[in-house]
Order: sequence, then C-alpha cells, then structure tokens
Amino acid sequence: MVDFLIGLFLATLITALFTTRLYRLLFWYALNSLTLGLLALTIGSRLHDRAMLLSGALTILLKAGVIPYILKVLSRKFELVRQIPPSIKTQYAIMLVPAILVFTFYLAEPISHMVQGNANYVAVSISSLFLSLLLMIEHRNVAPKIVGFLSMENALFLLGTTATEGMPMLVELGIFFDLLMAIVVINLLLYREEAQS
Amino acid sequence: MSALLLYFLTIALMVFLAPLLLSFIKGVKMWLLYKRPVSITQGYRDFAKLLCKESVISREASAITRVAPFLVLAPLVVVLFYLPPAVKGAYYVSFVDAFTITGLLALSTFFLMLLGLDSASSFGGMGASREAFISALVEPAMVLTIFGVSMMAGDLGVGQAGVNLAEHFPSEHMASFLFAAISFFILLIAENGRIPVDNPETHLELTMVHEAMILDITGVYLALIESAASLKFVIFASLFAGLFLPFGPELAWPLALLVFVGKLFAVALAVALIEVNTAKLRLFKVPNLLGIAIVFAFLSLITFYVLGA
Amino acid sequence: MMLFWLLLPPLLMFVASFSQNIWARRLLPISSFAVLIPVAILFRLPKPYALWRDYLVADDLNTYILLLASVVGIGVTLALLTLDRHVRIGQKAIYRFYRFFGLFWVGLSVSILANHMGIFWIGLEMATLSTVYMIKTNHTPAAHKEAWNYMIVGAIAISLVLFGIILIYASAKPLLGEKAMLFDALLHSAHRIPSPFLFEMGFALAALGMFVKMGFFPMNLWLAHIERAAFYPVAALFSGILESGVMAGFFRFSQIAGTVNYDHLFLFVFVYTLLTLFIVAFLIFRAKDFMRLFSLSGVEHMALIALFWVSGGTFAALLHFGAHAFLKPALFLSTGVLESGGRYRFAGALRGYHGVRGKLFWFLVGLFMLAIVSLPPSPMFFSELYGFGAMIDNAKASHHLLAMLGAITLLLVLLSVIFYRFVAIYQSMKYEGEETTKIVYASEVAALAIFALGLVALLLPGTMAFLKSIG
Repeated sequence: MVDFLIGLFLATLITALFTTRLYRLLFWYALNSLTLGLLALTIGSRLHDRAMLLSGALTILLKAGVIPYILKVLSRKFELVRQIPPSIKTQYAIMLVPAILVFTFYLAEPISHMVQGNANYVAVSISSLFLSLLLMIEHRNVAPKIVGFLSMENALFLLGTTATEGMPMLVELGIFFDLLMAIVVINLLLYREEAQS
Repeated sequence: MSALLLYFLTIALMVFLAPLLLSFIKGVKMWLLYKRPVSITQGYRDFAKLLCKESVISREASAITRVAPFLVLAPLVVVLFYLPPAVKGAYYVSFVDAFTITGLLALSTFFLMLLGLDSASSFGGMGASREAFISALVEPAMVLTIFGVSMMAGDLGVGQAGVNLAEHFPSEHMASFLFAAISFFILLIAENGRIPVDNPETHLELTMVHEAMILDITGVYLALIESAASLKFVIFASLFAGLFLPFGPELAWPLALLVFVGKLFAVALAVALIEVNTAKLRLFKVPNLLGIAIVFAFLSLITFYVLGA
Repeated sequence: MMLFWLLLPPLLMFVASFSQNIWARRLLPISSFAVLIPVAILFRLPKPYALWRDYLVADDLNTYILLLASVVGIGVTLALLTLDRHVRIGQKAIYRFYRFFGLFWVGLSVSILANHMGIFWIGLEMATLSTVYMIKTNHTPAAHKEAWNYMIVGAIAISLVLFGIILIYASAKPLLGEKAMLFDALLHSAHRIPSPFLFEMGFALAALGMFVKMGFFPMNLWLAHIERAAFYPVAALFSGILESGVMAGFFRFSQIAGTVNYDHLFLFVFVYTLLTLFIVAFLIFRAKDFMRLFSLSGVEHMALIALFWVSGGTFAALLHFGAHAFLKPALFLSTGVLESGGRYRFAGALRGYHGVRGKLFWFLVGLFMLAIVSLPPSPMFFSELYGFGAMIDNAKASHHLLAMLGAITLLLVLLSVIFYRFVAIYQSMKYEGEETTKIVYASEVAALAIFALGLVALLLPGTMAFLKSIG
C-alpha cells in the first residue's frame, strides 16, 4: 500500500511537470498532496503515531484542499496567465526526467544499508525534490514556480514521514506555519503587482 | 470444463464483446454529453449492414486493396490466441513474449497503412503517414512496458506473466507496477486512436488518422477493418485486465469470466471518461503524450531494477 | 522570561508599525537599544543557559553572534529614521517595512539562539519570507522582479537546508531518538552516529542551502542584484543579521560534521569557498556601483569566515565575523548617502560634505572602506593573519602542506585583486568627479559611530580573550 502511494506521488509529480495549464497543474498538486497525506495516515496508523496521523490529516486538509483553492482564487483575482508552456521542450524533458531519476536513485543507493525501514523512500523524496526544482526551472511564469515551491515542501514532508518515521511535532507545526506565511507573502506580492499596473 | 474448451470460450467471448465495447464507449460518451445514447448493439448492426452492402473499389486501386483488409485482421486474430488467460486452469500459450505481440500488432498496422496508400487519394497517404508517425512512437514504449511487467512477473512470456501475476501478486513492486500501468494505459489510448490522439468519430481532414486511411473502403472490406479496430481494442483491454488488474481468474469459471468482462467494461468506461474530459491533441503534440508514456515505462523499469520497489 | 526581554524590542517594533503615529517611529531606536540590556545580562549568566527548555540555549558562541546581530539591528533602526529623505517611499510602505523588519528580527533571534535544528530552520524561514516583503517596499519593477527572485531562490535554499536537517535527523534518530534534533546532543555523540554517509549527505545538502543563501558559488550575482534593487537598509540587514543567523547555523553544523569526518568536511568547504572566491574576486573587479561592490565583498568575507572556521581557526573566524558584521552594515547604510539623488557612480562620492556631521561621515566611511580590505589597524587584518596561520597549521597536521601553500597563494592573489580594486575605488571617490553637496543626518552618523565603536571594542584585549575562549 505504501509502495503504491509512493508510486502515485511520483507519478502525479511527473505528470505535473508536463502540464501546460495552470488549473490542471493545481489539480495535480492537490492529488500529489492527497497521496502524501494518505501515506502519512497509512504509516501513522501502522506505527500508532498520533502526531503523524494529525499531520497527515492536516496535510490533506491544507495542502490538498485549502492551498490549491486559495491559489486558484488568487489566480482568478489577479488574472494570472493560465497557459503555462514549459520553457524546456518536452523532447528534452523526456530525456531529463529519467536522467534525474536514475541519478538520484543511484545517489540514494548507499543509504539503503543505513536507514531502518525502506531506503526507497529516501530515493523517491530526493528525486521528487529535484523534479520540483525542475518544475520551478522550466517555467517562466510566477504561478507554476509557486507550485514548484509547494511540491518541494511536499518532497520534504515525504522525507520527514518516511525516512525518520515522523519529525517532532513542534517542527511539523512550524513547517505548516511557515507554509501559511508563505501563502500570505505570495498574496501580498501579487497584490502589489496589481496595484502598480 | 476442459482447459482447451475454456480457452476457446474466452476467445469467442472476446470476439463477441469487441463491437459491444466500442458501442458502449460511444453510448457512455453520448450519455455524458446529454445526448440520447446509441443502442449498445449498434456495433453488430453496423457489421451486418456492411456485410450486405456492395463493395466498390476505386479504379486506381491495385490488388492490395483486396488483400490488405484480411491481412489487417489476421495478425490481430492471431494475437487473440496469445493473451493471458481469463480463467485459472484454462489453456494458454506461455512462450509468446512482448516482441511477438508488438510485432504482430505492427504488422496489422503496416497493412492498414498500405491500404491507405493504395487508395491513391491524398487523404489515404496523409493518414498513413500520421499512423506511421504515431506507431513509431508507440512501439518502444509498448515493448518497454510489457517487458517491465514481464520482469516483475518473473516470466518473459506474456501469457505466463499474466498467470504468475494472478497467482502471486508482487506487492513489493507496487510502485513500478503502477508506473507500467500508467504507461500502458496511455499506449492503449494511442494505439486505438481514442480521443487525445485521434478522434474515431469525425471525418475532419485536419484531425483524422485512422478514418483517413479507410475513406475509400466499402462493404465487406470496411466490415473487416471495423472489426479489426474493435478487436484491437479488446486485445489491449484484455492485456490491461490480465497484466495490471490481475485478480479474478482463481474464481470458479463462470464467475471468473464475469469478472473478466467486468474488467473489460471498466477499461472501456475509463477510456470513455477520458474522452469526454479531454480535448484532442494537435498531431505534433502527440509525441509529448507518448513521451510521458515512455518516461513512465522507463521509470517503471529503473524503479524495479535500482530500488526494487 | 529572559527570552521575552530579548524578543521584546522586535515585537514592539512589529506592534508599533500598526500605529501610524510619527512618535512611535522616533521611539523605536530607544526601544531597540534596550535589547542590549538582556544581551549583556545573558553574557554574565553561566553558560550554557537554557532559555526555553532544550530548544533555545545560549552559549558563548551564540550570545556573541546575538550581540552582533543586536548592534546591527540598533544601527539599522537608527538609519531607518531618515530612509524617506534619501529614497522615494510612501508612508504606508515605511510602516510595512518596520512590520516585516520586526518579524525578521524575531525570526533570526530565535534562529541564532536555537539549539534545535527544526527551530533554527523555522526562524530562518520566517526571516526569509519577511525579507521578501522588505525588498518589495521599493516600488520599482526591478524590485518587484527581485522580490520574486528572492522568494523563489530563497525558498529553494531553505528547502535544501530542511532536507539536510531531515537527513541528519534520520541518521541520528536510531541513536538519540527525538533528541537527534538538538545540536549539543548531536555534537556530543557525533562519533557514534550509525550511518555517517547519511549524515554527511544531509550536511552537504544543508551546507549547500546555506551557501546559496549567502550568495556562494552558483548564486554569486543573485544577492547583489537583489540588494541593488531593494532599499539600502535591506542590504544592511542581510549582511548584518541574516548572514549572522545563517553563519551561526553553519558553525553548529560544521562542528558536528567535523567530528563525524573532518577530512570530508574540510575538502568540501575548501573547494567550495575557493571556487566562490575565485569568481567573486573578478566580479568585484568589474563592479560598477556601491551596492553590488559591497554585496560581492560580503560574499567574499563569508567565504573566508567559513574557510577559517573549518580550518580550525575558530578565533580568526569569529573575529572576522564580528568585524564584518559591523563594517558591512555600516557601509551599506552609508550608501544611502553616497548614492543620494540616484547617482550610482563611484567618482566623487566622498566629496561635497560640509559641517561637522559631513566631515565625520566621510571620515568614518573612508575608514570603513579601508578597513574592509584589512588594512592593518582593522580587526580583519588580524583575523586574516590568524586564519591563514590556522590553515597552515591544519595543513602541517595532514600531508598536504604544499597544496595548501599553493591554495593560500591563490587566495592571496585573489584578495590582492580585491584590495587593489577597493583602493582604486576609494581614490576615485575622494579625488575624482565633480563635487555635489550631500546632506547627512545625525541619526546616520550615530549609526555609523555605533558600528565604529563596536569595531574598536573588537580590538580590545578583553574581547580577544573572550573570542579565544570560545574556540
């Protein structure tokens, strides 16, 4: 089950890389977060870790529900460009994505003897970190860059839940707090842009 | 029931279901678009109608036009015999691997393209070139995907792989299994000319691929081509059902067949939902979609090999 | 309780920014000064002093860094009083600036005092996000673009840091449990970490994130462009407080990494900083305006500090750090006057000052300009001497003396390129170009005087002895 969810996580992220429409991208991001939250719930219920269950539920609520919705509202309000063709051509991206994956999978290989639990999670989260970086790089527009930043946060959360079997609650809450603050700052940045033009 | 009998029964069932599935997709689509859906037996009616019609062959056409429709259908009929079994205990061909199946499908496509070229109309040539373009991109991903699944199942033979998967599902390889499934589903859509790649319902010159090749074909020949198209869909759907939804065969045989039919309809339903929800891609965007399929196929292989997940 | 007093001035600033009263603004420097009292008390308290359970613990190192950051905070608050006289800025924007400055200061105070990797990160992220808006107070398209730029790259850098932290946590969790987040616990049992590879990968990612945040190798011009586009106090905050916070984290992380595997740490930081210095030296040579010049020179000094620290020259690194934390904000704040009227040229920037304030101003700025390239009485001179000494000692212990000597020669060549450029600029500022009258306000001279006093204080034997005791 965990393998399935982790596969789904990576799959949604890769699909997001090839998306050319903003709302689709937000949809994939929401799905990505949803699988992440389900993953945290699954692992948390297996470990009987109440903190992880809570953070999984928060993830589903915030990252899969509230944040994509807010971003959608913001993009309506500030009339952001909704066509977001990646600036890296698909032909090259097709070669780049597997290259990144192979690289990160081999990078994480020595870890497999060290982490208790499953080393694949570390590999997948490192590769999703790089893929979200790619998502930020390949777009010129602001909105997909924000989504890239958010999915980077997701990759970190994945690493936190799987590699360490849950971060301390304090840190998790701090990360959520900072995420919300990031949204506020993004809102302010967009707001000023409108006021100027 | 004896193994061989079940084998032939399954094949007969697939042949029987083939036109039904396509009509079902059409019906679901129309229903979702608030139209009055076509009857589910429309496929059979069309087939019967075409059989009764006189076939007209263009003056420029050579002997190929008479031969090719049979050769389009024949490889597909052969492939039908190589598919993973739907019922446990049924006879199956274990040694046929991904290359053979892809090759046979390519052979059928080859004669279809030849048919398009032979009609000597500009549309036929255009359709043939587009079909060549798409199928050239489909083949590598197809081989990669089926190969990857065969690796997970522990056998190169497609039939044997299906059996192995049903007997012992590799839940530790769930992630790579999922990637292969995504890739295969995209290929299913592309090879059967469903909506993001080709629209089977229009005859708009800008977009048509499959229809362009068979514009000049009439009568019995058209019936053959149409049944080839529906057979192709049923082959892909049952490959998907046998390899990626490997549950059900261990049940008692009537129940197992029922589950199998259910899976075929589920695949058809998924295709219909995708068709309603997406717009057709421009021809030169199709490589992007197939590129995603290749990425996922490759991803499934490396996840399997490097991570073992 | 102690923590409350430490965070009170920035919080007051945050609260005061909501009232549009002009007097609130005038009083803020005084309240900022008040932060020195708890810091001074903190110096007297026995170390390590737990401010908030295990999470925030003050020891000698971070009390020193906190003092530096507080002095910079006071200086910037003073200089902010006359921000609207030098640049075009709306009243509302000023108050917003104060609001986010308060948040920034809170975040970094927490970050500097943190003994917990997660809290360190949370403070840093808070500071990063609040900076974005401070950059944005300048209403130009360039500033808008750079604010986004900072948001994106800063977010990447900070995510890398968190990624590294999680990996480090994962590497030590089997041994320490939840305590694997605490710096002191990690340092204490670093040699027993069960999976050093995981730890080192985590450290490399975290260090990469911190280096990117300080404008090291791949991102050399990034920070310079941002500081150019923003108002000058932002640059002062960057170089004074933000880099202090980041450096504090780097000190902690590298202490642990040095225990795990010193050779790897040294090689990694050595190659990285040398690469950075190599590029930055030539970028400085081509710099055409004060902001970029100072910003690049800040990158140079940060690289030197990191290099000295991992070479074992703790004292040198801390002295250099202190000197830089006073000099660079002072120079950034003075660019407000040097570039008054939007004149970005070097020539004649130090001419045309009248009155006592003006004379004092150009005298101090000239002094700072020469001190930043480590002319002898400057603390930087001593710190570089000690730093290079530490590098040679370090090389003697291993078997790479020749390679190290080569590297130091290269370093000296690069530093002399920078030195030459700065002296040339100083001369151009003083003796070339036409004379235009510039106005200097008392608060700015006061800020510069505070920084100058701090610089002198660094040279006192007592301070030196204290710094030596930290290492």
